[in-house]
Amino acid sequence: MREFEYVAPKTVKEVINLLASYKEKATVLAGGTDVVVRLRDEIIEPEFVVDIKHVDELKGIKFDKSSGLFVGALATMHEIENDKNVKEFYPYYADACGHVGSKQVRNKATSVGNLCTASPLGDSLTPMFCLDAIVVIEGPKGKREVPVREFITFVRKTVLERDELVLGIKMPYIEGLKGIYTKNARRHEVDLSNIVATICKVNDEYRIAYGSVAPTPIRLVKTEEFLKGKKIDDKVIEEAENILESEISPISDLRATKEYRISVSKSILKNSLKALNN
Amino acid sequence: MKKIDIKFILNGEPVELTVAPNHTALRVIREQLDLTGAKEGCGAGECGACTIIVDGLAVNSCLMLAPELDGKNVLTVEGLAHDGKLTDVQQAFIDHVALQCGYCTPGFIMSTTAFLEENKKPTREEIEIALSGNLCRCTGYKRIIEAVEDVVAKRGGK
Repeated sequence: MREFEYVAPKTVKEVINLLASYKEKATVLAGGTDVVVRLRDEIIEPEFVVDIKHVDELKGIKFDKSSGLFVGALATMHEIENDKNVKEFYPYYADACGHVGSKQVRNKATSVGNLCTASPLGDSLTPMFCLDAIVVIEGPKGKREVPVREFITFVRKTVLERDELVLGIKMPYIEGLKGIYTKNARRHEVDLSNIVATICKVNDEYRIAYGSVAPTPIRLVKTEEFLKGKKIDDKVIEEAENILESEISPISDLRATKEYRISVSKSILKNSLKALNN
Repeated sequence: MKKIDIKFILNGEPVELTVAPNHTALRVIREQLDLTGAKEGCGAGECGACTIIVDGLAVNSCLMLAPELDGKNVLTVEGLAHDGKLTDVQQAFIDHVALQCGYCTPGFIMSTTAFLEENKKPTREEIEIALSGNLCRCTGYKRIIEAVEDVVAKRGGK
């Protein structure tokens, strides 16, 4: 690991000021389960590491039905998967956070960190995509809010400026919404996903988000449009699977082939649609 | 590079230390504090050989920068036994011969110790999930799981 200066500010304002003066020389450290690995492998070589874990404003998970869920930047996967409200009103999100890495990793890793890492296969991201989560950002010019689908622009790329910090994410509460999270990996625990997906149903409409099938997690809007109002039977599922295939562009890598990923994606769609309509 | 002064509780005792920010907590614990129970396996949060308990939660000390220890309550495998008496988790691993080479054992012991505080009556599946962040290349896990189940049973969980 290269040398760097370590700073641990206590307020969001201090963080922003530090980021504004260090710019691309700084890396923000939250849970560190991704950042420390990248520091160790010297994939990133910052001059300053800004540890935000002492910023109390960034802690916690809040919920009420009118404003929905707010997940602070420091909420860990462990806190989210065990949160009473998340378990009751966003069980697929609790599930997603509970499938990240190992218990040791979940005790440190944050869901907002997962978002900022912007991996195509980020385990906790597809629930955010289904709910059209809003990313709350603060910078020198004040706060701004960005829909999650616009936040991630490419593999490990986001719209976040170097002097900005994500404060947390907002996820609306939608009455009657049911969701299913599915992760396919070589090993049940502690593995990267071959395919990760969240499929939600509200009234007769569907929201379908997949990870690891494109450079960013995506919503399958054509498949959603096709399924809208339809009675789910084998023929509809088969047609939906074909539309799904046209919307995804998975690659072959060391974990799985493109063909396997397409096949698994279809199975997840089929199983989720059946379960949601049971 | 400015070194950082930190204070924390280590195995029940207060510690004051000056650390390099680019060292991991694991490196500080092993090389500055000479506690070599926690091991480096993968160095990337996959094998769990470096597991320690921080504020009651099992974490990978290889994924923690040394300054992050500041203000924490840290427990390593060396802090478990008191007056030469092993904890029930440690004793169960011996009784069940739940180890061979021993490299992964402190990590398993720490994960188990933290987990059984959180879940006093775990099922076998829950134990397997809780320990899935700890890899053992010798035992095949069976004896480890049995050791944990034995602790649960003796504590009156089942």
